[in-house]
Amino acid sequence: MSILATKDTHVVIQGGVAGVNAARRMAEFRYMIKQPLNVSAFVYPPDAGKTNEIVCGTELVAIPIYRTIAEATAAHPEINTSLVYIGADRAYAGTMEALDDPHIKAVSMITEGVPEKDAKLLGKHARKLGKIFNGPSSIGVVSAGECRLGVIGGAFDNLVACKLYRPGSFGVITKSGGLSNEIIWICSQFADGITTAIGIGGDAYPGTDYVSYLEMFEKDTQTKAVVIVGEMGGDLEERAAEWFGAKKRRIKLLSVVSGFCQESLPKGMKFGHAGAKEGLKGEGSARAKSDALKKSGAIVPDTFGALGPAIKATYEELVKSGQVQPIPDLAEAELPRLPKTIEEAKKDGEVLIAPLIRTTISDDRGDEPLYQGYPASELINAGYDIPHIIGLLWDNRLVSKQEAEIIKRIIMLSADHGPCVSGALTTVIAACAGIGLSQAVAAGMIMIGPRFGGAVTDAGRWFKYAIDNKMTVDDFLAYMKKNVGPVPGIGHRVKSLRNPDKRVKELVGYVKSLNIKTPHLDFALEVEKITATKKDNLILNVDGTMAAVLVDIGFPVDSLNGFFILARTIGMIGHWTDQKRQSSRLIRLFDYLVNYASPKRREVPPLK
Amino acid sequence: MAKVLEGPGMGLLRKWGIQTPNYVVVTSVDEFEQLSKVNDWLQKSKLVVKAHEALGSRFKLGLVKVGLDLAAAKAAVKEMLGRKIESITIKEVIVSEAIDHKEEYYASAKSTRDGVDVMVTTYGGVEVESNWDKVQKLAVEIGEVPTDSALSKLVKDAGFTGDSASKMAEFLKKLFTCFENEDAQYVEINPVVLDTKGNLVALDAVTLLDGDAKFRHKDWTFSFAAEFGRSYTKNEEEVMAVDAKVKGSVKLIEIPGGNIAMLPAGGGASVYYSDAVVARGGKLANYAEYSGDPPDWAVEVLTEKVCSLPGIKHIIVGGAIANFTDVKKTFGGIINAFRKAKAEGKLDGVKIWVRRGGPNELQGLAAMRALQDEGFDIHVFDRKTPLTDIVDMAMAAK
Repeated sequence: MSILATKDTHVVIQGGVAGVNAARRMAEFRYMIKQPLNVSAFVYPPDAGKTNEIVCGTELVAIPIYRTIAEATAAHPEINTSLVYIGADRAYAGTMEALDDPHIKAVSMITEGVPEKDAKLLGKHARKLGKIFNGPSSIGVVSAGECRLGVIGGAFDNLVACKLYRPGSFGVITKSGGLSNEIIWICSQFADGITTAIGIGGDAYPGTDYVSYLEMFEKDTQTKAVVIVGEMGGDLEERAAEWFGAKKRRIKLLSVVSGFCQESLPKGMKFGHAGAKEGLKGEGSARAKSDALKKSGAIVPDTFGALGPAIKATYEELVKSGQVQPIPDLAEAELPRLPKTIEEAKKDGEVLIAPLIRTTISDDRGDEPLYQGYPASELINAGYDIPHIIGLLWDNRLVSKQEAEIIKRIIMLSADHGPCVSGALTTVIAACAGIGLSQAVAAGMIMIGPRFGGAVTDAGRWFKYAIDNKMTVDDFLAYMKKNVGPVPGIGHRVKSLRNPDKRVKELVGYVKSLNIKTPHLDFALEVEKITATKKDNLILNVDGTMAAVLVDIGFPVDSLNGFFILARTIGMIGHWTDQKRQSSRLIRLFDYLVNYASPKRREVPPLK
Repeated sequence: MAKVLEGPGMGLLRKWGIQTPNYVVVTSVDEFEQLSKVNDWLQKSKLVVKAHEALGSRFKLGLVKVGLDLAAAKAAVKEMLGRKIESITIKEVIVSEAIDHKEEYYASAKSTRDGVDVMVTTYGGVEVESNWDKVQKLAVEIGEVPTDSALSKLVKDAGFTGDSASKMAEFLKKLFTCFENEDAQYVEINPVVLDTKGNLVALDAVTLLDGDAKFRHKDWTFSFAAEFGRSYTKNEEEVMAVDAKVKGSVKLIEIPGGNIAMLPAGGGASVYYSDAVVARGGKLANYAEYSGDPPDWAVEVLTEKVCSLPGIKHIIVGGAIANFTDVKKTFGGIINAFRKAKAEGKLDGVKIWVRRGGPNELQGLAAMRALQDEGFDIHVFDRKTPLTDIVDMAMAAK
């Protein structure tokens, strides 16, 4: 048994992020007691029509979000309670909306900083309707083994430590959120735990006071004693004392009141909750409240620290008189546990996971990326350069200084080839059409293929095939003619023997000047000698030269196009930013650049 | 509650049709001179000059001067501005028109659990204290307005007769309207005087507004004053500025002369910690509190201020078992500030006492405990140690 929050409570949460967080905490509680989530809906106009995903044990449950309370209760007529998690400036209207809904019997408000007048009006309206308005500034309500409203009780481990998975015999009413949790803990350690704990909020005029809840606890036979944590200011504790002392009560009452320090502080210096203010004439002091409670017959320890032993003594008396049967503690293994996340389970060495992908090049899990195990910053500081990173990431090795220089020159020579070539032209057209950088460069990239820039890999493959199979140039050309077609890397659109490609000359000249073996380059140059005699533009082009050199220095065939793609990306980004800088206008092809070979204008035949 | 100084308080009364004396609030003698050129009443009337600061017993301190002509008023303004009263420098002075009157009355409105109490008596001024039993009260339920007949009965019960009765009823109606519309919590007008033209004038007022309602009062451009008879200190103002910015809250009030520094979590627990110190005969150096899972940097700022309190012997980092304030994160902020304060020598001979529970308590407490290795005199306890036992231990350690 319990009060206010029970196994029959079904909740709508009004609000955004904070409300979703509360729902997650509530779901943890429900999981602990092996019950389905009792949050039926959210009301949050900005997200109406969507859902909030709430983790319930090992599942994700989608809870719908509505624009109004009426829509929520129409779709989920079981809703009888609302939790208000909306800002102080809109909390009044939202709470009124909830109170006025016939399905809703109780509203608990977590919102802090609500104007006093608003809280008073809401309290009056709720009383008129015979409903409960709890708060503002309420941490929530929790009934052990049944229901949690809000984040009261804290993290899952604390819920279990406080034995909130099953009811005890003590009711708790506090203004302070933190102290509600403290008292729940004390009741679980010094006694058999709680039935229901309620945070009424620390404002001056909470919607529902101690007396209303004391009356409810008095009727709840499971609750044998109630602990009130009071504060100076207002008259709620005096009213509780008056209620308790008015006649013989079934429940026992224990209470402490804070604020004695005020007696020895400079006059007028007040602190604590909004409601913790003595009256202008000194009424509502901690001493007055404490005295009133003592006089009413309540157990009032002198300090907060003495509350635990007092609760213990009360519990032992209840056991002795047979009103309470001690509940055996659960064995460690029987305690409720949240399902572990995969990370936690892995950390504890409890799961074996088949990885989805495998990488052999880099690792991002530390404080900086490791390329083949080398920290990027250390490579920089040791004087390594971009070509070394290419070597590490494309071929899993640290290339030599000489190889790095070759790679650098290849990239420098291929970085751009003016605006007219397929790739750059496409990027320029895209830039002029207002397309963004990554898409415009990607459009240019799409052009890289068998006819434009994309022959490096194929050229490398066939030169390597020839060398691996110890072919002569004649055998190779015959093989290519029969099985493949034109030799990739041979032939140029505009360059020829008489008008050689300067880039090729430069690269070949440099590589040959080094004292390294270049069997593929040598072979490619031999091939050129034959093909160029057949047709003078069948020269070794820049793709073929790069390919032969890169195979010579050991790069795998499949990586070769990458050198052109990488180099040309520099140019394409340049073309895009160039057009952007000039605010270029949309361009189109002139019709005089098109040979219109389609049929002339003619009559459309009737549709048959 | 938020206290409003006399100037803006009078402004709110005038806004709702209550007559007040003419007044100006000035921050320099030049400004006063300029104002005296364009305001007839400053030249013709007898004037009252008062320090416009949240100070108690202004009369005793010579910060209220009455019956002055313009020249004397100017001299008073000059004398008061810049005067130092303990830590407070007087930055504003209010100059108002003295009102000739015979009768002094008392009127007030006060927020109660059920609504508003409207109170009135013919015993105004200093007489009200000794005639508190003569004050007549009308309780108005929240959401209601007092009826004309209820008000006229109230003033008659208070002893007003004839013309002055109807005038006071009208005055109280305006007071109530002002109170309701301005989200006031307490307005005390003492005295209300009957001037020579037969009008009721509010001569002096104490105004407390509901600071939480500020969002719906765009014309509350004034700042609120401290309620404890002194202005806020620089440290307090800096913590308030942080508090206004962040989720959750951080609070600080300095108490000169104490040696037990407080750094507890929670609006409820913090007062129990203060009680425990006082109950053991300790002297509080401050009140502080953080709650509602504030960001670590906000707690760090608060901690820096607490570590800077002069002459402290102990710091009490107490707290109940938090519901959702992350112990590891908030302790991270505290630890940062502790390290800084230690490097600056502020924690020499200071013992630190920690007790806490809540989300990530194990990591948070372990991080605090690890400070022992850095040479801190720190004593760390978990939820198994009752809430305020660390105060007992601190006081026993001396």
